[in-house]
Amino acid sequence: MNCDYLRERLDNLWEGAESAEVTRHLAECPSCAREYRDLRVVGAGFRLMKREAEPEPSIGFAERLVRQLGELSKAPSVAEFFERAGRRFVYATVVLTFLALLAIVLPATGPVRGLSIADIQLSGPEAQMANADPFGESSLQDAPDLAPEEVPAPAATHEVK
Amino acid sequence: MENSGAQLAQEIQWIKRAQQGEPEAFGPLVQKYQQRVFSLVYHLVRRRDEVEDLAQEIFIKAFRAIRSYNFQSSFVTWLSRIATNHCYDYLRHERASRVSFYWQMGEESQQELEANAQSQPEDALDHEEQLALKDLVEKLLERAPENDRKILLLKELQDYSVEEIAEILNLKPTTVKVRLHRARKRMLEDLRQWREENKRS
Repeated sequence: MNCDYLRERLDNLWEGAESAEVTRHLAECPSCAREYRDLRVVGAGFRLMKREAEPEPSIGFAERLVRQLGELSKAPSVAEFFERAGRRFVYATVVLTFLALLAIVLPATGPVRGLSIADIQLSGPEAQMANADPFGESSLQDAPDLAPEEVPAPAATHEVK
Repeated sequence: MENSGAQLAQEIQWIKRAQQGEPEAFGPLVQKYQQRVFSLVYHLVRRRDEVEDLAQEIFIKAFRAIRSYNFQSSFVTWLSRIATNHCYDYLRHERASRVSFYWQMGEESQQELEANAQSQPEDALDHEEQLALKDLVEKLLERAPENDRKILLLKELQDYSVEEIAEILNLKPTTVKVRLHRARKRMLEDLRQWREENKRS
C-alpha cells in the first residue's frame, strides 16, 4: 500500500494514458494493481454517467420563462412603490415623534430663562406694579372703551398758520 | 459551444438589451443555453424530476443578475457559475440518500463487476452492472467534500477544461489542477475506506 508509482501518475492514468512501463509495474505491484482497478471502476462509472440521456427542456420552456420574467419585472415596481412609501412613512413617523417629544419637554410659556440683573434691580412702585400685574392686563381691562374720536389728540405744540 | 463572430455580436446585443430589463431579449439566450444548463443541473443534482424547476430558477436568477455580467468571461461560463452555486444551495437543503445498488451486491459480485469493468469497455457490461457502477460513483460523489465534487463533476461529466473550471469556480488554473488531483486521489481512498467499512459491517 506504500507504493507511490500509481499516485504519481494518477491524473494521466485517470485520463486514459497507459504505457508498457505502467503495465509492467502493475503486474509486479499488487497495491498499485488494486488501486488501478478502483481507478478503472470509478472511471467507467463516470463515463456511464456522462453517457446517460440528459433531460431536455419541455416544449415552450424558453417562452414560458420569458413570460414569467415579464410578469416578475413588473412586480418589482409595485414592491418598489411600497418600499418607497414605507420609507417615507418611517421618516414622517420619526419627525412627528421628535416634534411631539419637543412639545412635551418644552414649557408652554416658551423658553425659561434665569433671573437677569434687570429683574433683581426692580424695586419700589415698579416692583409692586410688576408683582401685582406683571402683564398689565388689569390696566387694559379697567381702561374705558374709547371711541377713536374720543382719543385725545396730542397737544399741538406749534400752530400752523 | 463555440460562437462565430456574428453569433457573438448577436449574443452581446441580446445581453445588452436584457441588461436594460428586456425579458424578450433574454429569450434567445435561454433557447441557446437551456440544454447546457439542463445537462449541468442533471449531473449536479441527479434528479430528473427536479431539473426543469431548477433550470427555471437558474435562468430567473441569471436575468435578475445580468447587470453584473461584465463580459469578462464568456456568458456560458458566467451562467454555469450561477447554475453550479444554485444547485449546491439546493443540495445543501435537499440531500437524501437513495438505495445503493452497488452496496446491495454481495462481495463476490462486486469483485466480478470490478474485474469486468477493468477487462472490458463499460458498454459491454450488462445493464445491472452499469447501474451499479453509476450508483457507486454517485455515492462516492455524495460522500466527497463539496469542493471535490464540484471540480469532479465539471471535469468528468461536463468536460470543461481546467481554464473554464478556473473561471467558473473563481480559481487559478494551477489551483484547479492541484484540487482535481487531490479530489481524484481522495475519491479512490474513500472507495477503499468505504469498502473496508462495508466488509466490517
